[in-house]
Amino acid sequence: MQNPYIPYPVVVDKIITEVDTKDIKTFRFKFINPEDEAKYAYIPGQFGELSIYGKGESPIGIASSPTQKGYVEFTVQKAGVVTSALHEMEEGEVMGLRGPMGNSWPLEFLEGKNIVIVGGGFAFTTLRSLINYMIYGENRKRFGNITVIYGARNPGLLLYKDELIEWQKRDDLNINVTVDKGDANWKGKEGFVPAVCKEVAPSKENAVAVICGPPIMIRFTLPVFFDLGFSKENIITSLEMRMKCGIGKCGRCNVGSKYVCKDGPVFSLAELDKLTPEY
Amino acid sequence: MEKSLIKKDALAGIAKKMAGDFLVWAPVKKEDNVLFEPLQKDGEPFFAYLNSKNAPKNVFFPHTEAMMKFTRTPKGMVFSAEENKADQSVLFGVRPCDAHSFALLDKLFDQEKYKDGYYIAKRQNTTVISIACVQPPYATCFCTSVDGEPVGSEGADILLVDIGSDYLVEFVTPKGEKLAQYFGDAKADAAAETKKNEIAAKAVDAITSKIPAHEVKPILDKNFDNPFWNTIHGKCLACGTCTYFCPTCHCFDISDEVKGSDGVRIRSWDSCMFPMFTKETSGHNPRTSQKERWRQRTMHKFKYYVDNFDAIACVGCGRCVMSCPVNIDIRKVVEDISKL
Repeated sequence: MQNPYIPYPVVVDKIITEVDTKDIKTFRFKFINPEDEAKYAYIPGQFGELSIYGKGESPIGIASSPTQKGYVEFTVQKAGVVTSALHEMEEGEVMGLRGPMGNSWPLEFLEGKNIVIVGGGFAFTTLRSLINYMIYGENRKRFGNITVIYGARNPGLLLYKDELIEWQKRDDLNINVTVDKGDANWKGKEGFVPAVCKEVAPSKENAVAVICGPPIMIRFTLPVFFDLGFSKENIITSLEMRMKCGIGKCGRCNVGSKYVCKDGPVFSLAELDKLTPEY
Repeated sequence: MEKSLIKKDALAGIAKKMAGDFLVWAPVKKEDNVLFEPLQKDGEPFFAYLNSKNAPKNVFFPHTEAMMKFTRTPKGMVFSAEENKADQSVLFGVRPCDAHSFALLDKLFDQEKYKDGYYIAKRQNTTVISIACVQPPYATCFCTSVDGEPVGSEGADILLVDIGSDYLVEFVTPKGEKLAQYFGDAKADAAAETKKNEIAAKAVDAITSKIPAHEVKPILDKNFDNPFWNTIHGKCLACGTCTYFCPTCHCFDISDEVKGSDGVRIRSWDSCMFPMFTKETSGHNPRTSQKERWRQRTMHKFKYYVDNFDAIACVGCGRCVMSCPVNIDIRKVVEDISKL
């Protein structure tokens, strides 16, 4: 049986600098042992532990979709010891990857429904995984209307810029990209995510909102969706906590009786209401 | 299986004989403390002890343990898992409360989906021999309030009960039966069994410290925000002694140590009493003060573990009560919660 504490060896295949400030990069990893890729079968919304020997590990949401074969991607902000070391890495270097961990976006629950995706800033990564999963080939038929509202502080901080353009070309996606403040070249929307949600006003009929962003965005976005009539069962989000083991043993990421690493990170607001407000 | 009888003075000899055949962890006197340590060739086990200073959990879950090793090579890092291998061993002479703690730790480390191979290998290859508490060792013992028994066999493979001139030897599990040969041919008769039952009943009565451990669960379910939580932590030094000595505390940290081009990833005991335990890279800390940490510790033992595993994560050994430098007493905390 696979020892869950031991990372799969991966090679850094590609590094994409996502933002103007250069502190958020997408890392594409390939498994050194090809058979490990199948073992790493994941679902959008899950996360992995990026493992750099001598530095430690960092739990990061998976940014690629399982429909993208041959590699796994993580979009990482440079922040602490491990992510700083990661940002120093070059293509071709070898490191480790554990997981996949956690539950996932509730795909079965989302099937057949209209999906509203709301993302803010750097928290867009696992939402990007979900979008790419839902729009892939035949998968698209399994979901109703897909509305995406994605915001960043300024145009230079938007992630996945090329993909955003591709998505906007599709007629089976309603993409709303906004920035808090534009620049001379910005022709898109300006305004905070909650305001844009209000403007887009997605219908609550047969709909689920999947919301991920900084706490301040969540705080002002939730009332908009309550006003639109979304129930707490139909608003889904993902939590972050300090983690180590990733499998519910080391004891630090619990919110009440639930471990964010193994029982989460994805919860509906209705589920969160049943937990203690300690996150 | 039939129970055996051994003379009381035969115990050390049996432990030493076993130590010739495999690794035996036994109580050993170290200055003022009794600790469970591997019995050395000419070492003398010390069975006339009340309870060990440290909980013996370190036999299965060491303070510090290598998880994997790595080496820097010109081609990049190469790493190898530490094997989940453990030698055949015996943990000789733990108290029933500590044996009970192993049954509780099993629930966490040996779950269906997420198995902790490091713990499981050691646990599976170790036979646990308990010595019953005919007299409660300390006034702080409260095992009977948390599903324990002073003459209980939960978590043990063999239970020894002092019935006067002899120990009654009960082989609790097939793993225990395999060591039957070490305990000689004297079989226990009905009289010995009767004696044991009398002693067990008396031992239960002798535990006078009681806490309403089961009663607080529904109260904790509803009182996360009760102002009561402001009243415990004031004098807490966040030293982590309570969690260090606790037989059921199992939180750990994972970190890397590097020397030259070789490194090792280790896990070591951590504590929910420490501010850094939950502090995130962003600076955000979901448990901002010692109040939240004390609530976590209490909730984890008397509510969360019950929610997840249907068992209280406390065995009533009283170590945290005896070792807290500022005399915070979990028994008082639970008592106070029961009155909320």
